[in-house]
Amino acid sequence: MKKTGIWRGLAALMTFLLSISVIVGNTLESFSSTIDTALGTQSEMMVTDDQEAVYDKFTPPAELLNEDGTGNSHALIQAAIDLNRQQAAEGTVLLKNNGVLPLSSGSAVTLFGIRSQVPILGSSFGVKAYGGFINLDEALSHNVTDFANHITTSLSQNWATGEVERGYTTDGWSGDEFEFDGAGFTVNPTMTAIYTKLNETYLHTENAGPSEEYDPGEPSVEEIESVNADYKDSFAQYGDAAIVVIGRPSAESEDYLPGGIVSGLGAEEPLALTTNEKDAIDLAKECSEKVIVLINSASAVEIGDLKDDPDIDAILWIGAPGSYGLLGVADVLSGKTSPSGGLADIFPTYNMSAPAMQNMGNYSYANAEDVITRENSDNYIIEAEGIYVGYRYYETRYYDAVLGQGNATGTAGTYASESGWDYDAEVAYGFGYGLSYTTFDMEYESEPVIEVTKDGDVTTATATFNVKVTNTGDVAGKKNVQIYGQAPYEQGGIEKSAIQLLNYGKTSLLQPGESETVSIEVDLQYIATYDSSYDNGDGTYGTYILDPGTYYFAFGNGAHDALNNIMAAQGIDAASLVGESNADYAFLTEITEYVIERTAFSVSKTGTKISNQLDYADWNYFQDGEVTYLSRADWNGTYPKSYTDMTLTSQELIDYLNGNYYTIATDEDVSDIVWGQDGDLMFYEMAGLDYDDEKWETLLSEMTLEEAQYLATFGGPSIPGADSIGTVETYMTENAGNGIAVNLNASKDTEAPWNISSDDPNGNWHPEVFGSSPLTAASFNPDLAKELGEFIGIESLFTGIPILWGPGLNTHRHAYNGRNGEYYSEDPILSGYTAMEFAIGALEYGLIAAPKHYAFNDQETNRSGVAPFMTEQRAREVELRAYQIAFEATKYDTEDYDAGMRGLMISFSKIGPVECTVSTGLMTEILKKEWGFTGYAVTDIYDDFDLYGAVLTSGATCYDTRGMSGFYTDTTLDSPRFANQVDGSVISATVFAGDANAQLAVREAAHNVLYAIASSNLMNRYNATTHIVKLNTWWRTAYYSAIGCTAALTVLFAVLYILAKRKKEEN
Amino acid sequence: MAEFFKKQRVGAYMNLIAAILGIVGIIAAVICSNMTVTYSLGNLGMIALVGICGIVLAVLAICLPNFFGNHDILGTCSVLGAIALFAAAFANVLSERILLIAGLFSYDSVNTVGWQVFYVTVVAMAAFILADLFLIVGAFNKSVK
Repeated sequence: MKKTGIWRGLAALMTFLLSISVIVGNTLESFSSTIDTALGTQSEMMVTDDQEAVYDKFTPPAELLNEDGTGNSHALIQAAIDLNRQQAAEGTVLLKNNGVLPLSSGSAVTLFGIRSQVPILGSSFGVKAYGGFINLDEALSHNVTDFANHITTSLSQNWATGEVERGYTTDGWSGDEFEFDGAGFTVNPTMTAIYTKLNETYLHTENAGPSEEYDPGEPSVEEIESVNADYKDSFAQYGDAAIVVIGRPSAESEDYLPGGIVSGLGAEEPLALTTNEKDAIDLAKECSEKVIVLINSASAVEIGDLKDDPDIDAILWIGAPGSYGLLGVADVLSGKTSPSGGLADIFPTYNMSAPAMQNMGNYSYANAEDVITRENSDNYIIEAEGIYVGYRYYETRYYDAVLGQGNATGTAGTYASESGWDYDAEVAYGFGYGLSYTTFDMEYESEPVIEVTKDGDVTTATATFNVKVTNTGDVAGKKNVQIYGQAPYEQGGIEKSAIQLLNYGKTSLLQPGESETVSIEVDLQYIATYDSSYDNGDGTYGTYILDPGTYYFAFGNGAHDALNNIMAAQGIDAASLVGESNADYAFLTEITEYVIERTAFSVSKTGTKISNQLDYADWNYFQDGEVTYLSRADWNGTYPKSYTDMTLTSQELIDYLNGNYYTIATDEDVSDIVWGQDGDLMFYEMAGLDYDDEKWETLLSEMTLEEAQYLATFGGPSIPGADSIGTVETYMTENAGNGIAVNLNASKDTEAPWNISSDDPNGNWHPEVFGSSPLTAASFNPDLAKELGEFIGIESLFTGIPILWGPGLNTHRHAYNGRNGEYYSEDPILSGYTAMEFAIGALEYGLIAAPKHYAFNDQETNRSGVAPFMTEQRAREVELRAYQIAFEATKYDTEDYDAGMRGLMISFSKIGPVECTVSTGLMTEILKKEWGFTGYAVTDIYDDFDLYGAVLTSGATCYDTRGMSGFYTDTTLDSPRFANQVDGSVISATVFAGDANAQLAVREAAHNVLYAIASSNLMNRYNATTHIVKLNTWWRTAYYSAIGCTAALTVLFAVLYILAKRKKEEN
Repeated sequence: MAEFFKKQRVGAYMNLIAAILGIVGIIAAVICSNMTVTYSLGNLGMIALVGICGIVLAVLAICLPNFFGNHDILGTCSVLGAIALFAAAFANVLSERILLIAGLFSYDSVNTVGWQVFYVTVVAMAAFILADLFLIVGAFNKSVK
């Protein structure tokens, strides 16, 4: 080869490598914040030259700091261990106990089931449990861990080989040891070794997920024998008790489906026990006289057979307990803690009996191909169960069955009953149910007090129940107190649940003989009924109605017990009831129009008149009469059918599905909207100001429309700065509900005095360690929920994250929702109060908890745009109520302070045919006007980029633009990612130049985002001298070097080529 | 025409393959952009423009040596330009698809439509990169006899 050819070729090669280096560099810079999080590097740092008045608004507790003020990682991790332990101990629910629990100290026990060795602690995707964990055998028999052999795992696919592999969530652990007081048992090493060996092929992980065709992967007896044929010889030595763990995972993006189980496993449904699981229980029976089953699942597993099996002595539901939660489970098994939880979901005998199960899964419009033009708009679900979700269905039908009304004993919806519908057969364990190791006497200490106040049109009505709880047993314990209510129902009238939770509380630890009075305030607006047909007389329809009549309230061990108590008070023959009843536990009162007006709750706490906002949620609004919603007027006749192959005929319905919501105006008068006004008011001066403070108007007027639009467009994790008000681009948001998803040594706030240095031995501790949300809810302990929020708030100070995308706040519509582990409960009151406490606790440390997914994210199947159809009554009383409670947070309101959540994430799903992100009814009328929400409302990740004008004018404040950063330069408003608008508009900094409505909406969005941030711990870092300093990173050095080297070599080889060429020509 | 092809050597054939791969890349980009509304490429025009310019330069790199001889300066500039342009086309596709790819490999792994778009995207990106590799190999070799 001639020299010209060589130099030419090398120049070509270097040109290619130079191009690639530039491309890599640009790509890295465009996603620098994400790259930093992944690699633990820091590209930029907020610096405040004047150190006066910084880091003084929110600080971690002194006990988590060293003497020099830096963070004490060991103390922080120890505190996380202790809190997760408490979460699991209080959330664990004792369902059955024939006297075998607690086990005595020194017991020698054998563990059965592969999940006893590989427990489900978190989700394969979503809320993972990270890092070192304490396994069940450790918790039962050890007192210290160095996490050396226990790092949580999850599955991933090797994209090079296609093989599915187990991978660790963190790269080992070289940090401290942690001591704990275990249960003091000895554990059969033969069985643990067998399961460990078997898992080399089963590949179970601690972070697991469901699937459409599920296999729990329980080894058979033959497989156990193949590892160690003599395993039964160990039973005699470790036969004090046999503990079987049954697991069912929960995770983002996958559901269980009806009939979705691998064939040949001996079960028809994914949440039913398989033959191998039953065989494991039989082995346990061979091993010991004492058989204990642990249900390691966020969803209701079908355990009716175990309930009725006399050889099963005890059943505990333990949820997904998190990285250290098995210590709490061990506390319950050993009796260090007496169980005090109650089920957050009802456990039917067969989950398919829930009316919601008739319409879950994958449904597409029959004529979608002909009429749907927009992506992710082909799928729907008809939520024909109406308001009868979870226990509301089973208990209300039970009530009507006992009273002989509404054809409740018909055969429709019967799965376990022998003839007509029978509660006792259909339900294994009811909502709120849970046992204890001790006994309690409960009584109303005084007559419940109803207080009604009126401020203008706003009525506040509460009933306060003072319940005296006395520990009458032999061991110390806590007792949850659940207050339920029943509104008067007229046959054929508006749908009403026969029983609903209204509020709850919990005692402190009561010693034997000790008493405590728990005072529980019930907001009576939650017992009102939404009547969407009510004529408001002003041209609108629909509002909350409090029908005059007799209202019943009761406490009880769960919803069923409370209902029985109410039925006893109503004089219903105890012989006709399933379970015990006590009329003394119930309270009735007449509520007449003189006490509380019928429409007292038709005006919200903000003074907003309430009327229908979600008419389009109902399929019948478009195509009348095609859907029949479940009604207690005729249970048998209205029990839902499966609505498959619905055909779209309404053009209005089709238009909504195709995204035709908003047209950006181009010629409106916008002269009254002030932008870019001269001023010297800076953002740092807004800390702690009310939303309505007039300074906000001044600040917003100083911003340019472009700056406001950047804030409204790029909602995180990196949020754009605005020069005019002195804010800088900042990494703000992260997941998730079980902890902050940033390692201690990758803090986004390294300037903080409490920063834990990157070389700290515990630096790679990842704070996502807590248990699943249902576990928190099942504790029925508001203080614990608040404490969890506070702790994650503290985590946020150590990791520099002011906004948390969590907790999950959707409804457990049914047990098959794959993401139930991330949401609290089927009950909106339990969910709402738990989330409220969590958020208030988090905000004490400046962390904005933004619950997700507002709203109606009722299944993971087709979650990107599925259209759930339902009545507005259902939407408000079940789905939205949880958010209402959390956002209103009236418990913490004072005369001077309007408490409440400062953030939320909007759902991927639609409401009816309308995307939640563009529903002004949902985002503005209900959220902002009725509930007074004034915070940050972000879309889900990259959702509805094609509906820019509609999203930003609905009340949403910004898009989730995960990964994007470098605003105004690398990432701009005319990014191609917003190029495909349904309305054909071209997105740029001038797109709203002629649209007054959009400009006002963007201004309000900026107001909300800035107001939220102003209440966060980001304000620790702001004063007049705050600015961004760009830092170098190894990856930046690497690509700079690559560009420099390849550019130089390109030039060099080009010159050599030219010289060689000339030389050749001269020759 | 037959006379013309008889005169060509390895370098020219490499450039020809590169030009064809450039066409493949553009077609694949157009296909993946039109598979769904959601995943249409907002910068498809730019991708097509730089891709076509790359193809033109690759074709020039075939033709020019027939007039100016092997390893001529104009032909060399065409090759280097084509390499840069195909790389730019690749970068444009990548920048538009990186969020989709990140989602598919994490939170959105069940997005079947996304995976279909991804596979066609991979064809587009691979075609542009392969085009560059063929141009590099061609640059080491003579184009005409």
